[in-house]
Amino acid sequence: MIPELGQLALTFALAFSIILGIVPLLGSFTANERALLVAKPLASAMFVFTLIAFCALSWAFYHDDFTVLNVANNSSSLLPWYFKLTAVWGSHEGSMLMWVMILALWTAAVGFYSKGLPLLMQGRILGVMGLINIGFIAFSLFMSNPFERTLPFFPVEGSDLNPLLQDYGMIIHPPLLYMGYVGFAVSFAFAIAALIGGKFDSTWARWARPWTLAAWLFLTLGIMLGSWWAYKELGWGGWWFWDPVENASFMPWLVGTALIHSLAVTEKRGTFKSWTVLLALGAFSLSLLGAFLVRSGVLVSVHSFAADPERGVFLLIFLLIVIGGSLLLYASRMHSVRSQARYEIFSREVMLWGNNVFLLTATLVVLLGTLFPLVHKELGLGSISIGEPFFNQMFYYLNIPFALLLGLGPWVRWKQQKAAPLLKPMALVAVFSLVVALGTMAATQSITANLALLGLLLGAWVGVSALMEVYQRLQQFGSLSQGVAKLQASHYGMTIAHIGFAVMIVGIAMTLTYSEERDVRMEIGDRVVLAGYEFELQDVYKLNGPNYGGEAAELDVRRIDGTYVTHLHAEKREYTIQRMMMTEAAIHARLSRDLYVSLGEALPGNAWAIRVYVKPFVRWIWLGGLLMSLGALIALLDKRYRRKSPNAEAAHA
Amino acid sequence: MRKVLFYVPLVLFLGLSLFLLSGLFSDPRERDAVMVGKPLPAFSLPDLMNPAQTWTPDALKGQAFLLNVWGVWCPTCNAELGYMTQLRNEQGVRIIGLYYVLPEDPMFGQVFNLPVLQAEVATKLQQFGDPYQFNILDQQRRLSLDLGVSGAPEHFIVDAEGIVRAHHIGDINPQVWRTKLAAVYQQFAGGPQP
Repeated sequence: MIPELGQLALTFALAFSIILGIVPLLGSFTANERALLVAKPLASAMFVFTLIAFCALSWAFYHDDFTVLNVANNSSSLLPWYFKLTAVWGSHEGSMLMWVMILALWTAAVGFYSKGLPLLMQGRILGVMGLINIGFIAFSLFMSNPFERTLPFFPVEGSDLNPLLQDYGMIIHPPLLYMGYVGFAVSFAFAIAALIGGKFDSTWARWARPWTLAAWLFLTLGIMLGSWWAYKELGWGGWWFWDPVENASFMPWLVGTALIHSLAVTEKRGTFKSWTVLLALGAFSLSLLGAFLVRSGVLVSVHSFAADPERGVFLLIFLLIVIGGSLLLYASRMHSVRSQARYEIFSREVMLWGNNVFLLTATLVVLLGTLFPLVHKELGLGSISIGEPFFNQMFYYLNIPFALLLGLGPWVRWKQQKAAPLLKPMALVAVFSLVVALGTMAATQSITANLALLGLLLGAWVGVSALMEVYQRLQQFGSLSQGVAKLQASHYGMTIAHIGFAVMIVGIAMTLTYSEERDVRMEIGDRVVLAGYEFELQDVYKLNGPNYGGEAAELDVRRIDGTYVTHLHAEKREYTIQRMMMTEAAIHARLSRDLYVSLGEALPGNAWAIRVYVKPFVRWIWLGGLLMSLGALIALLDKRYRRKSPNAEAAHA
Repeated sequence: MRKVLFYVPLVLFLGLSLFLLSGLFSDPRERDAVMVGKPLPAFSLPDLMNPAQTWTPDALKGQAFLLNVWGVWCPTCNAELGYMTQLRNEQGVRIIGLYYVLPEDPMFGQVFNLPVLQAEVATKLQQFGDPYQFNILDQQRRLSLDLGVSGAPEHFIVDAEGIVRAHHIGDINPQVWRTKLAAVYQQFAGGPQP
């Protein structure tokens, strides 16, 4: 009964989305105020009904209703209750319903927080969101119905959730990621509304900025969490795999980052208009492309859902309508838009232009690397695969000029910057970063010219520059204490995000250079020494989990001089229903290094295969990501975004 | 000119979607065709059961055959031995095995031991059926690598001149043989064998 109610609610939501996609948009052309006014309540109603549908599916999972096909396929009565709820988004159908619910949530949020927007703009934005909603709700309802029944012959037990997904990371990683992906729909809708209206003033950019920042914040957190989860769950200490699905999330992130910066130029200076609009369309288009790649089975990936060409065709048609339609609108509207503002070659505008060039080149690298195998094969040239070395090398080359530019950019003024006044502070930054980099190197390792040194130098350059820039800026307010209060939140946000980037570069370079690993055969009492740590296997015993068995290993870690460091507990689980092996690595995390142990197969002679890693600075990668998100959060709190725009009521088409 | 520039994103996207469309209807895991039409790569490898005997591409020429990449460690390979034995007995298909040795890990005390392997192979062949004229031992997996083998079992149909005519990844069962391989084999073996 409840699942049917869910399906009914989803049908209602579809009806609301159709009205939302038609009435306010039509009303915006005929200047019909009543038609525009229905947008907000419709958006809320649509969200409420998708939420009801989502809750109905969650109810079915919680109560082990195996008469629902999706529950039978992705859950079991042995799962703990929180993983039963997590299993809701463990399948294609369920995750699609979550996607729909989140899209409706963003739509309702735009309605709720759009008091400052002119009615016309509000109606158009919500109307475009409604159109996007139609596509996804219809896809969920007709192509991948999560409420499908197994009646009359239903199984008494479900086939369990994929053990890989039975992790705390799964509880929060997909929701955050989807919040990010789908959040770019808002920037997209803002851009389309601006294209329809043909007005690209700075107010448009100011409205779009907080929404873009919010989406970017979620996407950053989602990607970081995914990386950390893969690191601890897959059992071999990797944190980024250049898997097609990771790339699918990385591309909107890169374009979204470019968009945040480009929006700043459009808002402050009224230039880069066509560019910014294209990025706003691009970020969401790449989210959609990602969804297509994951759900259609055109690429081989560890993340893929079961492939079904029919679903792929539906999504591809949807892509053609949304992306193709928006790009057509863009081409027909944008060519007549001219930017008036002038700027010199050495100016903030050009710095941010450089930022966009590098970020888009990076996007292109990822896009080519992800899709080239497909294109190559479809051209009949045979199968190839593009792996880590290609991406790593390209990002290595792109990162050096990007980081150098990033260190300089915030110092440069809008319109025009004379080189002379910057020479002294930049020289200071250079000296400080050299000291910091060499100092860190001397304290942790010996100084050698390698990738780690380069990473430290670039990281220090970006970090020191960000700190000194904000210090210099604060002093301009007269006294430091006055400055701290007066400086805009978005400036703090930028500084913190840039420091986050610096921290991440350092983490990546140090981990890549100094990680050590060993595969060893160990009996109880055996010891192995790695990077100054001695791991002693103390015990291995049988495990008895609720829905898994397996073995657990207990290890003690000491330093070479005998000081006790920590105790590690690694597990190898065998999930009984799906008959899958999972490693639960034991990790001892410190800011300067991770100790990482995973338990392998039992070997003849009462021994076990054990894999031991020491990974210096690996935490810095995720710490950097967290700082970036924190920066976005602080920028979001900037007062400017909550001020009602002065011409809000007076706006016209 | 400026106007045309704004259509570039649209054109690029439409081009991409053509590939996405055709990608929908092909299997991304499929990579059969690479070797087809090319001669067997050069090799000189011992016989599994009689290591004194050495096999080269020239020694295999003269009659078309089915080359089967397999190993006793591979359950699917063992499962298809029965049907291949039937093919040999009923249709006279010449089947040659390319024995794929799993990489051994000395750290875990694994070493290559030919007599043990020969015994294991003999047991399996007795248990499931022996379709092979003989088995080539590819201990270093070089030939398998050259052939583009991604796992076991895989099958190649090689004609009398030593040219690869078909490549099949996965097991052979009556359906696969009938729909995919029988026609090719018969074409190059000169019709069904008595």
